Amino acid sequence: MDSPQPFEPVLTRHIHEPDSWTLKHYEARDGYRQARAALSRSPEDIVKVVLDSGLRGRGGAGFPTGRKWTFLAKGTGKPAYLVVNGDESEPGTFKDRYLIECDPHQLLEGMIIASYAIGSNHAFCYLRGEFFLGYDRLKAALDEIRAKNYIGKNIFGSGYDLNITLVRGAGAYICGEETGMLSSIEGNRGYPKVKPPFPAVSGLFGAPTIVNNVETICNLPHIVRHGADWYKQWGTEKSPGFKIFSVSGHVNKPGNYEVPLGTPLMTMIEDYAGGVRGGKQIKAVIPGGSSTPLLTGGRIRQANLDYESISELGSFLGSGGITVLDEDTDMVDALWNLMRFYHHESCGQCTPCREGTGWLEKIIERVFAGGAQGADLDLVLEITNNMRGRTICALADAAAMPAASYITEFRPEFEARSKTYVAAADITEGQAIHG
Amino acid sequence: MADQITESRTVKLKINGVEYTVPATWSLIQACHNHGITVPHYCYHEDLSVAGNCRMCLVRVAGMPKPVIACGTPVNEGMEVDTLSPEVEQERQSMMEFLLINHPLDCPECDQAGECRLQDYSYEYGRDHGRFQEEKVVRRKSTLGPHVKYWGSRCIVCTRCVRFTDEVSGTGELAVANRGDHSEIVVFPGQPLDNPLSMNTVDVCPVGALVSSDFLYRSRVWNMNSRESICASCAIGCNTRVDSDKQNLIKRVKPRRNNAVNKEWMCDFGRLDFEYVTTEHRLNLCRTRESANAAWRELPWNAAFKTIAGRIFAPDTVYLISYWNTTELYESLASELSQVSGARVAGFGKAQIEDQVFPGFTISGDKNPNRAGFDELFGNAAVAPADLARGGGRIKNLVIVSNVPDSAAIAAELRPVLDLADQISVFDFYESDFVKHPGTTVAAATLTHFEKSGSFVNRQGLRQHFKAAIEPASFGRSVTEIIDRVRELRVPAR
Repeated sequence: MDSPQPFEPVLTRHIHEPDSWTLKHYEARDGYRQARAALSRSPEDIVKVVLDSGLRGRGGAGFPTGRKWTFLAKGTGKPAYLVVNGDESEPGTFKDRYLIECDPHQLLEGMIIASYAIGSNHAFCYLRGEFFLGYDRLKAALDEIRAKNYIGKNIFGSGYDLNITLVRGAGAYICGEETGMLSSIEGNRGYPKVKPPFPAVSGLFGAPTIVNNVETICNLPHIVRHGADWYKQWGTEKSPGFKIFSVSGHVNKPGNYEVPLGTPLMTMIEDYAGGVRGGKQIKAVIPGGSSTPLLTGGRIRQANLDYESISELGSFLGSGGITVLDEDTDMVDALWNLMRFYHHESCGQCTPCREGTGWLEKIIERVFAGGAQGADLDLVLEITNNMRGRTICALADAAAMPAASYITEFRPEFEARSKTYVAAADITEGQAIHG
Repeated sequence: MADQITESRTVKLKINGVEYTVPATWSLIQACHNHGITVPHYCYHEDLSVAGNCRMCLVRVAGMPKPVIACGTPVNEGMEVDTLSPEVEQERQSMMEFLLINHPLDCPECDQAGECRLQDYSYEYGRDHGRFQEEKVVRRKSTLGPHVKYWGSRCIVCTRCVRFTDEVSGTGELAVANRGDHSEIVVFPGQPLDNPLSMNTVDVCPVGALVSSDFLYRSRVWNMNSRESICASCAIGCNTRVDSDKQNLIKRVKPRRNNAVNKEWMCDFGRLDFEYVTTEHRLNLCRTRESANAAWRELPWNAAFKTIAGRIFAPDTVYLISYWNTTELYESLASELSQVSGARVAGFGKAQIEDQVFPGFTISGDKNPNRAGFDELFGNAAVAPADLARGGGRIKNLVIVSNVPDSAAIAAELRPVLDLADQISVFDFYESDFVKHPGTTVAAATLTHFEKSGSFVNRQGLRQHFKAAIEPASFGRSVTEIIDRVRELRVPAR
């Protein structure tokens, strides 16, 4: 990966090298020295360095990792668990996949450090079911370190025991939701759980559990090695460090790019991803995975890739899945595609999501087919309002946010598709129903 | 209310501006319901775990950015809860709209109509017209088990039935299959919903998705009379509600909440154990015959009381009294028998089997409703029926008070005793083998527990009173009444 900037990738530095996934290759670049070093320090020490680094969760919510660790309930009489979320199911996001496939030992070393820091003797890594190569490589890597007793009893002679279990998903978006994932690991249907209690108090099998994203965990060996100040030299004050962004859509060079947080979005699109395909204009950008609202017009140029900047512009940095839509994109079609996805993936537990996602898809399909009438678009906006913030997990919001955003941003395009569009204010509800 | 709270730690919170003190372990919905504040809900059930999926119980809590579910939110000191504002109302309206978009409009043929939460809340929070113009999702109908059918399209996937089989019956037959608006309740192939508690899933279903095959299309619920009763099918004494139609026929029996006894559950057997009320073999009046070969002669009751008077309290009488009678009868008999010289009493009932124990419910192995009541009154004085037969000595006068449905097996077991009797008088509600015994020369028609009032003492020692749930289906009289009338005969006329 040739970067035009002085920042040298950290997490993805070795992913293109031959055999980067083997223990031999990993140890040749000082692999497992950080885990060894961490185990000679106190867990509080590790937590402190992670707290000080300001590392924020890379799964989407951006919650400070060190603070999350401090929430873990102590003295419950139950074991504590670390669960690493490698389900990576958000459309437009494919960074964890490369970390797992090309540098599995980096992840495993991070898991050893995190488990030690939170006092867990059993860590789980939940892998998306479709990650066949990733599973093979991670499994092989796990076997390698188990053979060398880097996990197991009394690892590195420190007296610390750790077991790691790989769990594979079966292809459900909802199992990427942290509590849905816990249900899945428990062998149950992947239903997200009612919070409270939060996983840090009662998570996997009712025990205190910390859930971290793959990329978050991969940061740990580097932070432990170089310290918090090293990490904070990149990024912004509130979003320190670097992050991998998955760029897809109408760009010349789609792929994963690791940059310091705060890098301008346009730099990412133009300099890293090679600009828009065919020299076309950008119509909109999905900044953080398919569930985040669109950025359009001037906001694209204003946006920097850090949590605060994108939030101020009305969207989310999310998982870092950037999708670029060029001027030829049919927004109705794009939204229909998304709505089909969320309808298909709603677990069906909560009423607004179970019923709302299907309803949205059907209306947008009708808009696409030119059969929408009257106040359908206003109805969509009202449905999205009724879905948001009223469910156990965020899937309803994930479906509602883009629906509201696409229609608000590109209303004329949607109206043009609705042949007989009449503004809601001009008709009575009764007429709208009977056409 | 505060003085009723026994738990040590309490919190103060405000609901709609009024301050309440509640146990710290409660959820918001418990705090609301225990103070008469209704929070509409589907998936919440006080005896099942919290699923929090119907989202109907959303309420607002000051300082929280989003509405919270009352069923899954613990109370907290100083919380200010709002269940009445326009925002909460709007949230309920939107939930109702979502629930109804794929719900069929088949209330006219749905068994649940009239006692359906969807109907009730539609009335309160529904729109006057639908805004859903798309094609509805159709889900299959299926037979889940011998007593339960499933109407997929009506299901709101609240998972109460699934949680019941997971947590109370512990049998786990039910599961949710498929995702999103295709979610439906299923059983695994070859493993039907067939456990002794299966019909409780019909009760917990807040809509018409799970229906009872035994009640299906038997009556509209608004055409029935509902009376409170006590189940007589075992020694638990489940509190019940008996629904009967205008022809005085029992249509169904449902459990009634009593947290000290049965919560809100009962077994399928007890629920369906009312067919004997309408058996064609019911006795109608009192009948007598000279001998085994002579024909029965029915007596009007006034004449019958005189006949019975000559038999029932004669000296040296042996009394076989079943555990299926009311405590009131035992009391009445006990006080009379203290004056009868040479009276001997033996109790009898259905055979004791093992308890059926489920994680959240126990079906007693004692299949008699009032053994404890009998023991209270006669416990020390009673002899075992087997001892009566052992000596082989003749019994001058035998009185049997049965009222046990399906008593053929018991009658066969007691046959040696009956064979020793010179004359037998039977009190029973139907033509049982006791009545048919050659030695029986007087048989008085009595009533089932559905048709009379009284009380049973369950195996916990709890005395539970009940009233007649239906009008008597025969011209029989309760044994208590018969004894009262006989007693009147002894009072010298003025």
